[in-house]
Amino acid sequence: MAFISIRGLRRRYVMGEVIVKALDGVDLEVEEGEFLCLMGPSGSGKSTLLNLLGGLDSPDEGSIVVNGQEITKLDQNGLSLYRQRQIGYIFQSFNLIATMTTLQNVEFPMMFSGVSRPDRRRRATEALIKVGLGDRIRHRPTELSGGQQQRVAVARGLINNPTILLGDEPTGNLDSKMSEEILNMLVEVNRNGQTLVVVTHDPRVSGYAGRIIHMLDGRIVSDDGKH
Amino acid sequence: MRLLDLVTLVLSNLNRMRGRVVMTAMGVVIGTSAIVVLIALSTGLKQQTVDNFSSFGTLNQITVFSRSRFGGSSDEDTVSLTPEIIKEISQIEGVVAVTPYEQFSGQTTLRLNRMQGFGSLYGIDPSVVPYMGFELAEGDALLSRNTVIIGASVGDGFSEVTTSTRSTSGGGDRGGPGGNRNGGMPPGGGGIEGMLFGMGGGRSEEESTEEESTLDLYGRTLLLDMTRSNDGETDTRTVRLRVGSVLESTGGNEDYNIYMSMGDLESLVTWSNGKRPTWNSSGYTQLLVIAEQDAQITLDVTKEITDRGFNAMSTTSVVESLSSTFSLIQAVLGGIASIALLVAAIGIANTMVMAVLERTREIGLMKAIGARNRDILSVFITEATAIGLLGGLMGVLIGAGVAQIVDLFAAGYLSSSGSEASSVVVIPLWLPVFAIGFSMFIGMAAGIYPAFRAVQLDPVNALKYE
Ligand SMILES: Nc1ncnc2c1ncn2[C@@H]1O[C@H](COP(=O)(O)OP(=O)(O)OP(=O)(O)O)[C@@H](O)[C@H]1O
Ligand SMILES: [Mg+2]
Repeated sequence: MAFISIRGLRRRYVMGEVIVKALDGVDLEVEEGEFLCLMGPSGSGKSTLLNLLGGLDSPDEGSIVVNGQEITKLDQNGLSLYRQRQIGYIFQSFNLIATMTTLQNVEFPMMFSGVSRPDRRRRATEALIKVGLGDRIRHRPTELSGGQQQRVAVARGLINNPTILLGDEPTGNLDSKMSEEILNMLVEVNRNGQTLVVVTHDPRVSGYAGRIIHMLDGRIVSDDGKH
Repeated sequence: MRLLDLVTLVLSNLNRMRGRVVMTAMGVVIGTSAIVVLIALSTGLKQQTVDNFSSFGTLNQITVFSRSRFGGSSDEDTVSLTPEIIKEISQIEGVVAVTPYEQFSGQTTLRLNRMQGFGSLYGIDPSVVPYMGFELAEGDALLSRNTVIIGASVGDGFSEVTTSTRSTSGGGDRGGPGGNRNGGMPPGGGGIEGMLFGMGGGRSEEESTEEESTLDLYGRTLLLDMTRSNDGETDTRTVRLRVGSVLESTGGNEDYNIYMSMGDLESLVTWSNGKRPTWNSSGYTQLLVIAEQDAQITLDVTKEITDRGFNAMSTTSVVESLSSTFSLIQAVLGGIASIALLVAAIGIANTMVMAVLERTREIGLMKAIGARNRDILSVFITEATAIGLLGGLMGVLIGAGVAQIVDLFAAGYLSSSGSEASSVVVIPLWLPVFAIGFSMFIGMAAGIYPAFRAVQLDPVNALKYE
């Protein structure tokens, strides 16, 4: 079985009379270490698929098996642990906590995984040095540029050594130079063997991806990695 | 999540909304300080009252009246305190001794050489003297014909007589301790209202301008001048009383008592009324029942006598009922103050609901990075508990401060009203512990609902929240 195996995934939103089929039967297999890009028009279900894969949402039908574990059968606590151990997230809007320093933001996930304070300090500092922000660890997010903030978010997403890094338009709020920085970092991450699933409209991002999937109306309409 | 991390996170979260935290905690401060002040005050008053009573009189003595004395007019079922009743009561289990306790109600003056003094004359059964709880300063504590036992302060009241006062003043006119006004009350019982809150000390200070001296009356023979009026004619008689014993001071009104045998008293009464008293048929005014030295036995005996249709009263029963009355007052005041804390709890809940709303995105993020439900619950409940704790700490400090100020004013008031002022405010150790614990509990309870709202947020929507 593949590293990630998605079968018959459906997710509906009922809005009064209208039923929106955000995902309408998705089957997908992803191997470990792939760099996969999800593309498609707005409303095609890319974010929905990503959130299901990240264990933030549950499908109405279908199953997702990651690394042998059927996450669609986990309870809330199990999903929390899955997110904590397997998943790193990067968002379009960074989602850094404004009142925390960059160091504290990067440390934050380790609070919930029970890493001791000195270890957290050390690992977060190292991670920030790695993304080129070693001199910004005491800064607040508002004192950083967008690209720098997203680099902090990448450091945070990777801090618990997730097997899968998920990005929902991680360059969506960045100009081309900053996007380039983030992209290079993602490529670097992928080279270390982490699996990457990134939703994007940005052709430069898809240029680096090893596999591009197009979605439309909650279905996969093309998959250049399908053999 | 580790405890230390939880605390650090909670502190930094509180710090970033400190304005609201302080305002919310103010509600708790008001409630907690109200609890502290009100309970400290009622505890102080309770303690003081109970102390005053306990220091007063002998705890195992029960004073018995026939019911009509208090019950008012004409109850035909009234049972008189006759010698048969004395016999009956003395057979109640736990009763050690029973004696009539009869005060002489005629006008009297005591004389010694050129000095004049006063005392309350009581007749008792000489055989119960050993059970009266008398502490002797001097003498053998024996009552025999024309030999009396006197309280410690009788000798204090003696003063040089000037011719003018001698001819006009009678025994009861000075309002002094020897006055006959508290007739019929238990030993020193005239001071019940005075004992409350330690005010008044049970007697008014004498305003005599005459020089008074403390006399050691032990072994002396006092002259007792009695006056009676018969059809407008005034008649006097003088009786010689030898002071056989002097008691140690108890601090109560009984220090002014003069105890004599019932036989001696009977002859005084006979002369004063012109006929023999009808104690055997119409009963004594009051009895003194001495129970075993045990609060419960005293209470049981008191109840038993009451059940037999008499008014029975002991210091123990008064202390008991006062103490439970004060406990009730304490509970009511504490309850009222607790309502203030419940209002504060609503404030905390409100602040926390607002915090959850404002931090929706952050909660979504926490979920996305692997926070478990119980982590999120603990963060928000701990924040609410900490607001309660903060308010509780401040409330206890402020409450204790206010209580001290109240105490100062009360002490000033009490000392100006002439009694030795002890503290009316007592903060027992459990009070701050309880107050802080209760505030924390209130905070915690108030945090539960907001915390569950945080947990129930859908992470996907929360992360989209603006
Ligand atoms: N919470 C929701 N309630 C109702 N409908 C929803 C909800 N979330 C998503 N949808 C609907 O599901 C469909 C898929 O949404 P999704 O966010 O996955 O699209 P997307 O491909 O990520 O679009 P975009 O590129 O604009 O981000 C859309 O039609 C959207 O309106
Ligand atoms: Mg999207």
